[in-house]
Amino acid sequence: MSFARYLGIRIFNALLVLAFVTFVVSILFVKVAEDDARTRIAEIINGEARNPAILRLKASDPEAFEKWKRNREEQLRREFELDKPFWERVISKTKNTLLLDFGNARSPVFGEIKVSKIIEKAIPRTVLLFTTAQIIITFIGLLLGIKAAQKAGKAVDKVLSVLAMLTASLPMWWVGMVFILIFAFQLGIFPASSLPNPNLEGIQYYRDLLWRMMLPLVTVVFVSFGGWAYTTRNIMITTMHEDFITVARAKGVPERKVIYGHALRAASPPIVTNVIIGLLGSLGGAIITEAVFNWPGMGRLYWVALQQSEVNLLMGVTYVTVALFLASMIIADVIYGYLDPRVRVGR
Amino acid sequence: MRLEDVRESVKDFAHEFRYQKGGIIGLILLIILVSAAVLAPQITSPDVAKRWSKEFWVENPPNVPPTWINYFSSKKLAPHQVYSINDLEILDGGDGEKILRIVYESNYDVPPKDIVLQGFKVSSHDVKNKPRMTVVLKRPDGLEVKLIEDRMISSNTVIQIATNTEVKNNVFKWSKEVSDIELKPVEEIKLQALMDTMKILFGKIDENIFKQPTPLHGKYVLEIRIKTVDDGDVLDLSGFSVIFSGRTFGLMGTDSKGRDIWAGLVWGTRVSLAVGIAVAVLSVLIGIVYGVASAYFGGWKDETMQRFNEFMFSLPVLPILILLGAYFKGHVDLFQIVLLLVLFGWVGVAKVARSMALQIKEQTFVEAARALGAGSGRIVFKHIMPQIMPYAFSQMALSVPYAVMTEAALSFLGLGDPTAVTWGQMLYDAQNAGATINGYWWWVVPPGLAIALVGLAFVLLGVALDRILNPRMRTL
Repeated sequence: MSFARYLGIRIFNALLVLAFVTFVVSILFVKVAEDDARTRIAEIINGEARNPAILRLKASDPEAFEKWKRNREEQLRREFELDKPFWERVISKTKNTLLLDFGNARSPVFGEIKVSKIIEKAIPRTVLLFTTAQIIITFIGLLLGIKAAQKAGKAVDKVLSVLAMLTASLPMWWVGMVFILIFAFQLGIFPASSLPNPNLEGIQYYRDLLWRMMLPLVTVVFVSFGGWAYTTRNIMITTMHEDFITVARAKGVPERKVIYGHALRAASPPIVTNVIIGLLGSLGGAIITEAVFNWPGMGRLYWVALQQSEVNLLMGVTYVTVALFLASMIIADVIYGYLDPRVRVGR
Repeated sequence: MRLEDVRESVKDFAHEFRYQKGGIIGLILLIILVSAAVLAPQITSPDVAKRWSKEFWVENPPNVPPTWINYFSSKKLAPHQVYSINDLEILDGGDGEKILRIVYESNYDVPPKDIVLQGFKVSSHDVKNKPRMTVVLKRPDGLEVKLIEDRMISSNTVIQIATNTEVKNNVFKWSKEVSDIELKPVEEIKLQALMDTMKILFGKIDENIFKQPTPLHGKYVLEIRIKTVDDGDVLDLSGFSVIFSGRTFGLMGTDSKGRDIWAGLVWGTRVSLAVGIAVAVLSVLIGIVYGVASAYFGGWKDETMQRFNEFMFSLPVLPILILLGAYFKGHVDLFQIVLLLVLFGWVGVAKVARSMALQIKEQTFVEAARALGAGSGRIVFKHIMPQIMPYAFSQMALSVPYAVMTEAALSFLGLGDPTAVTWGQMLYDAQNAGATINGYWWWVVPPGLAIALVGLAFVLLGVALDRILNPRMRTL
């Protein structure tokens, strides 16, 4: 099987998963929306029934009032598309969602009312924050991990394992709250809200953005780098035990070159996949961490959608997150295949 | 496996476990946590769970830090103190008069927020002739302040010294007399409106008494004199209490509803451990069974089961959980949370279990068992499962932190069980009340540390189990 064909199958698989998830989610969504619409209809009719003309009608001719009520309800049901059969609504919802048409939010978020526009604004911000964080984490993690692998069992190694265990037990979003307490409330160095100031322009805007990004960035890095360094260490130790490293050392290759040239090259496929898996894993914590910091990305959208029960927004955000997740998994595969030739041929 | 073998292996295990320092620490942490969970009603009070989400805890001051903060700060804050009728000195003043006395030692730089008198029970025939109460505060400098004079009391009387207008007028008049400060009428009205009754009562008499009273340390005596005028009146003081509403409270302070955070922390252990352990055990068991079944059946069954596993694996957990939580309209009870977490928890375990079972299946002893005519059940449960169990145990311990953290995360988003006392919920309340920007660290830090502690305990245990039970991994 050629790599292209393998990739094609992977993408096809991912699309299938995406379609299926959207379908299941649509079933739930249509149910929630139905309950929502029912209460809205009842509210509207009750509101209109307080109209003096209707009140008079109710007093003089109860039967006509009932008839009006029935007609009005029928009309509203059509408006909210409750007259269509359940499965038809589910399928149309699935189709619309797959085509990125999520409908409108009830009140504007980030100055937009269309859900797809809102998400379009949020994604780059999330990517900016978490990609930057991941680059820093990878860098620190590699340095520390290799150091620990070289001195396995010594003090550096032990400190790193303890650090990894401690930080892995901390919820990222809680660390964010504590950092706000320390750095924003107590010391006043960084702002408590990371919402960028939209009135600034040019270089000023970017400086403000960087300043506001600092605290969430430090939080993500602080929580993740220990565990990541520990993973790197484990992968490196396994590689360092392989025969070709012994050979390289035996023939007198300098230690630096053995580690960075031979061992790291061989260890890179699992390391790269782990970076991407780590990035995906941080997605969960990221959702809440963003909410804590008011960082206007996808996580913030989740928070807003849940707090204001914006069903359309929630649906849109979930769909996009799942799609991004699946896409990143494929990218991880492609990179793995590029770095490790064994994957490309046959499986 | 015979019973002796089991006993032998448990003994071996215990012996090896003694050399795992991390494991021992984890075990001690776990014992502490479990005892906190079991003894929660005894450590705090049994009605915490019932009251937690339903009401304001009016008897406590809201948003105050823990009492031990006084050890670290130069400014001493008055703690919360409740005097029930048994803590009072009761004297008979004669002529139907009862005198209740509280001796209050104040060495604090900030006096109590309030003094609340409550819990009177009066039955009287004549509405105009109820028992009358006079409240006097005797100060360490020998002065006496009459806070309330001859006030009629009935069953629902609650007197808050700090905000009561009669007290305010009396204290103002008194302090003007003793301090000899000349005030213009305009100034007087302004000062009277702005003054802090409690700070004046517990402050030195000098020229700053109205603007910035300096605290007066020493022994204060609060005297409550109640005179029953009508002989037919019955005054029941069994439920009577005097609350010195504190600037600090208990071990961990209070939140914005006056809830005792220490109580929440202790009770939160229950949910956290129950959810964590239930999810870990269930999902690992399901994962093992799924993986082993898939490996053992082989062929198209294996293929289908693996497709499904891959499907579950490729879903991002938290977004889907959030959506499902929203589907339940944010009222997910604990049982449903466990189910939701198990739904995604078994996937990784199933993958590993399958690959382990595939290896074991091909080994000669399984072939021998089959040749001797052993059935599927016997082979799976007697030969394959025992080999995988060590992995299962360490995996169970390692899954707990994940489950605890995800539960907390869902609660933090407001998708938890609103009737339960959980750490995630406490942090959700803290976030909504702006605890971080108001600096209520005693509300933010402890629940997170508790979550981390549970996580750490199980990670340590899991790693120790892994080292003992899977010796192959030891070199790493």
